[in-house]
Amino acid sequence: MAGRRALKAVLIDLSGTLHIEDTAVPGAQDALNRLRQASVAVKFVTNTTKESKRILFERLQRLNFNLQENEIFTSLSAARSLLEQKQHRPLLLVEDSALEDFTGIETSEPNAVVIGLAPDHFNYSTLNKAFRMILDGAPLIAIHKARYYKRKDGLALGPGPFVTGLEYATDCKATVVGKPEKTFFTQALSDLGCSPSEAVMIGDDARDDVGGAQNSGMLGILVRTGELRNSQLLISSSAFSSTVVSLLEATFLATSSIIIFFSLLLTIFSPVMF
Amino acid sequence: MFSINTLTSHVLCHMPLYITRMRTNHFGMADSGWPGCAKSLKGVILDLCGVLYDSGEGDGVAIPGSIEAVKKLKESDLQLRFCTNETQATREKFVAKLRRLGFDISVSEVFPPAPAAIAVLKERGLRPHLLVHDGLLPEFDGVDKTNPNCVIVGDAAENFSYQNLNEAFRVLIGLEKPVLFSLGQGRYYKETDGLKLDVGVYMKALEYACDLKAEVIGKPSPTFFRSVLNDMGLKPHEVLMIGDDLLNDVGGAQHCGMKGVQVRTGKYRNCISAELGSFEAS
Repeated sequence: MAGRRALKAVLIDLSGTLHIEDTAVPGAQDALNRLRQASVAVKFVTNTTKESKRILFERLQRLNFNLQENEIFTSLSAARSLLEQKQHRPLLLVEDSALEDFTGIETSEPNAVVIGLAPDHFNYSTLNKAFRMILDGAPLIAIHKARYYKRKDGLALGPGPFVTGLEYATDCKATVVGKPEKTFFTQALSDLGCSPSEAVMIGDDARDDVGGAQNSGMLGILVRTGELRNSQLLISSSAFSSTVVSLLEATFLATSSIIIFFSLLLTIFSPVMF
Repeated sequence: MFSINTLTSHVLCHMPLYITRMRTNHFGMADSGWPGCAKSLKGVILDLCGVLYDSGEGDGVAIPGSIEAVKKLKESDLQLRFCTNETQATREKFVAKLRRLGFDISVSEVFPPAPAAIAVLKERGLRPHLLVHDGLLPEFDGVDKTNPNCVIVGDAAENFSYQNLNEAFRVLIGLEKPVLFSLGQGRYYKETDGLKLDVGVYMKALEYACDLKAEVIGKPSPTFFRSVLNDMGLKPHEVLMIGDDLLNDVGGAQHCGMKGVQVRTGKYRNCISAELGSFEAS
């Protein structure tokens, strides 16, 4: 494993890893505080698209997490910059609470469809409207394609199934700007001045967090809170077992603070190890 | 306008037909000379929506010339059956609707997916959670729906609410061995007020959410077509399928060895045919 450099940045997933809706994962605040003592940059990356950055920041503050608003990077931020780049006028199928991250973008006579997590908009008539626009040539932009997410009352469908359905209906491919797309991870690291090989991603979704991060050259750690189900464990074990082993190897070569960070993670987050 | 009426006249006169051919046609049957093949035809299977009528307000609207076409076919010595992925109403109800529109058609000639699905449930001892149109529910009256161990999704239209889809998803995700049946896999269909999303879209949504493959009951499943052929007592090469859906009607039939013809009514769109390669027989 020569060539694996020192750890410079840690990306941490929010929903399912640090908190579940309005409840913090027990011990997570402590783990974060101790992580801050290590010389690594931290960013909070999320596909949560029902809420704007400000709302996410306020919730995390209320749950006693130690962070700055500018450490939060969401797939909404990624979507907005794509719209600006291409000068699209979007039909925004996003929760009202997320609309504030799109203020300033023209939405009259829409020529693009943007889909986020918006249960209120995933009804038959709104989806038909989006379908007809795409059939007529409007690009389909998906903030992410999460299959489902965890709510207090159980699992709930994410935007992924609806995006997939529209792709099938129109025979078009959506442009996905959220996890697990490579650009999401590289964009998240861009202002931290480090390469993917110097960063690790911690999350609860084997495919979207760990898989996506590894695909962009980062290391991944899977935690056992949130959405993880047994079958996901079986699928992902071969994918990241070598990752964990090599990271441990790297910790022996790195500073002692990183070894402490890892042993803490192992006790508090109970990550899966093979 | 290229409708079933013009096609029927051609079929009955054994004239060459306008055909839309798929590039991936494995059987190459459409390549052989049409006049010769038309002579060996002993039966015709017709799609309903988009071929005989367009759905919409109330009973919908009969496509001009279709009533005549069905009459002509019945007067000929060709066997006639109707194959449909209609799942917004029971067989009895929509045959009654077609009769009100003026078509000479009876329940025993019509093959929709729901009865085929019920047979599968019985065979495999399955109890369904239903995500279907309210109008289809009576078809499942005699079926045990307690403690469901599978999900059936049909053309539920307005019933495709986030909440209903979520319920179906939760049933599947909670099963040891999730089974999803989709009554058809169409992408969209035409109503009088425009194109609308069909069951296939929601089938794909649930497949993606649960990481599983659905079993399709109805067109273009070969099992479904074969059950119609068995009822007619005919071999595939003796039967012509006429529909408006290139993939599910025409493609599905061709895949079974039947001849397939696409009408340019219903959901037919010029650009799709252009992509897949149209040609006109000389």
